Amino acid sequence: MMDRISSGVDGLDKMLRGGLIPGRPYIVTGPSGSGKSILAMHFILDGLRGGEACMLVALDEPPSEIKVNMATFGWNLDQLTTLDATPDIKAHKKKNIIDVGTSLDVRGMEAVQDVRKSSQLRTLEVTVHSVQKMIKQSSRDLRERSKTQYTRVVIDSMSALKRFSLKGEDVRILVQSFLRFLSELEVTTLLVSNPLDPSTIDSEFLLSRGEILLHKWIDGNNVRRAISIERMRGTAFDDRLRPLTIGPQGITVFPNATITARGELSHSIDRPFLEARSADDVNARLDEVLASLEAVQAVEGETSVAEAALFRAMVAMNRKRYEEAVRHLITARTRLSEELRLHDAARRAEAKRA
Amino acid sequence: MKIPTGVPGLDRMLHGGLIPQRPYIVSGPLGSGKTTMLMQFLLEGIAGGERALFVALDEPPNEIRANMRSFRWDIGDIEVLDANSDIRRFEPTPIVEISDEQEPLKFREVAEDIRKTPEVESHEVTVHSLQQLLKTLLRKRDYARVAIDSMSGLRYFCMRDFEEDVATQSFMRFLTEEKVTALLTVETAGETDVPPESFLARGEVRLHRVRDDSGIRRFVSIQKFKGSSHEEMIYPMEITEKGLVVQTAVAVAP
Repeated sequence: MMDRISSGVDGLDKMLRGGLIPGRPYIVTGPSGSGKSILAMHFILDGLRGGEACMLVALDEPPSEIKVNMATFGWNLDQLTTLDATPDIKAHKKKNIIDVGTSLDVRGMEAVQDVRKSSQLRTLEVTVHSVQKMIKQSSRDLRERSKTQYTRVVIDSMSALKRFSLKGEDVRILVQSFLRFLSELEVTTLLVSNPLDPSTIDSEFLLSRGEILLHKWIDGNNVRRAISIERMRGTAFDDRLRPLTIGPQGITVFPNATITARGELSHSIDRPFLEARSADDVNARLDEVLASLEAVQAVEGETSVAEAALFRAMVAMNRKRYEEAVRHLITARTRLSEELRLHDAARRAEAKRA
Repeated sequence: MKIPTGVPGLDRMLHGGLIPQRPYIVSGPLGSGKTTMLMQFLLEGIAGGERALFVALDEPPNEIRANMRSFRWDIGDIEVLDANSDIRRFEPTPIVEISDEQEPLKFREVAEDIRKTPEVESHEVTVHSLQQLLKTLLRKRDYARVAIDSMSGLRYFCMRDFEEDVATQSFMRFLTEEKVTALLTVETAGETDVPPESFLARGEVRLHRVRDDSGIRRFVSIQKFKGSSHEEMIYPMEITEKGLVVQTAVAVAP
């Protein structure tokens, strides 16, 4: 059994068979208002109570607001280091824009008062790189000052961090490097993330070692909440949906109670498979085209047009546009048959001459 | 001649196992059991006295080793190639591609802690360097089974946007030419997602993950298997202490 680090919520720790495996990044996701930030704060508070050094990277809400919001639960976050990475108002004039990284802005929550005002002279720019640089600087300072290290980091939110960083840089590689950086710091990280767009896989989902999903739906006049662990590497876990409440003490998870979800949770395996059938159709045609392509190549015929159509078909297929894929495959097939026909005709003519 | 996959029940679905010396993909959503399946495939090779290589792209080897402790396996003899990129340097320090002289370790020799990025230079894994490195390794050592975890990681983090299709194609082709039995994992975004790798692979084992009131339920199906007949039905699958087990007694209609 590996060491575990508490998530800060008893019921969730039970679902996790003792807590999170330390030193790894985890995703906390769910619809807006489902309690992602509150859950992340429980995780931070648990660390602070145990005297650990914790850091909050605030990208969605300024720390001043977080401080006020969390005060409603009576939580004291004074010992928390926060990195205010909410971007400044963009000055739409020609002014110096500086990286957040060059103007370190890590503070104890205690010192957080009002909203940080955008400087009149220069505005801060938030990127994955600058946030990484700040965390690095801050953790170096901490080590020199008190010979300790950060153990818990919360990024709230990963979605915002990526949004700010869209500057032609390859975000996927930046996120990979950022998570690697956190791993090497040996911190346990919660990445608050907006729900995954079902048609894409975000890099932080691919690289995170576990995923906690918060649910929220309306049932008559009531708001219902629940929590589930979607995946967790290196440990068995409770894979059922468990009810969750947000009360004056924050989040409570009921690990022994059951709840039936409604709405988007009830997946069915049938519909996707109907679509898979059309995919099979495309696949069969594709095999046909590949066979004729080989035949044409064998006689050293012209294949570039057919290959281009084949490529388009594969792209269309990958985007699940099956009809479009079939169209391109028909083009490719026709082109190849034509080529074979021409070749045959030429050969026959040659045979006749001989 | 077919070779066993190491997953109880899966060989029956494949009508006897995999045709050796070809690349196959294991596709499915995150958390569906793909990495576990790769480990079982490699362990089966080790049990038969073969050499087996795990190429780690998504997670550092120390974590994989720790994760596999929840199963009652001895993965010590599986060799692992750490293909995780270092932290990117934003300062003008040299970025070096992993060299083709990097040696795999046995899992039992993998250190408990993560390999740290050196201060002077950072190593970057690109599809080209990895392909070169694998080529050298496959020629030098007689690996019967290779597992690549994951192709998605390779696509996402080791290729540039513009080269994705061509580089993927060339990588799959390379595996075919090396005549090694390879399993490659691919993350799928939804049930209908058809990853481009599946066109190029000789077979595709698809893992399904469905949540209902009793928790997460898992299924497995064979989407494609060139040169062999196979079961068309979807079968339930469980993750036990011994790894993945396919329940071939009950099929679910597709």
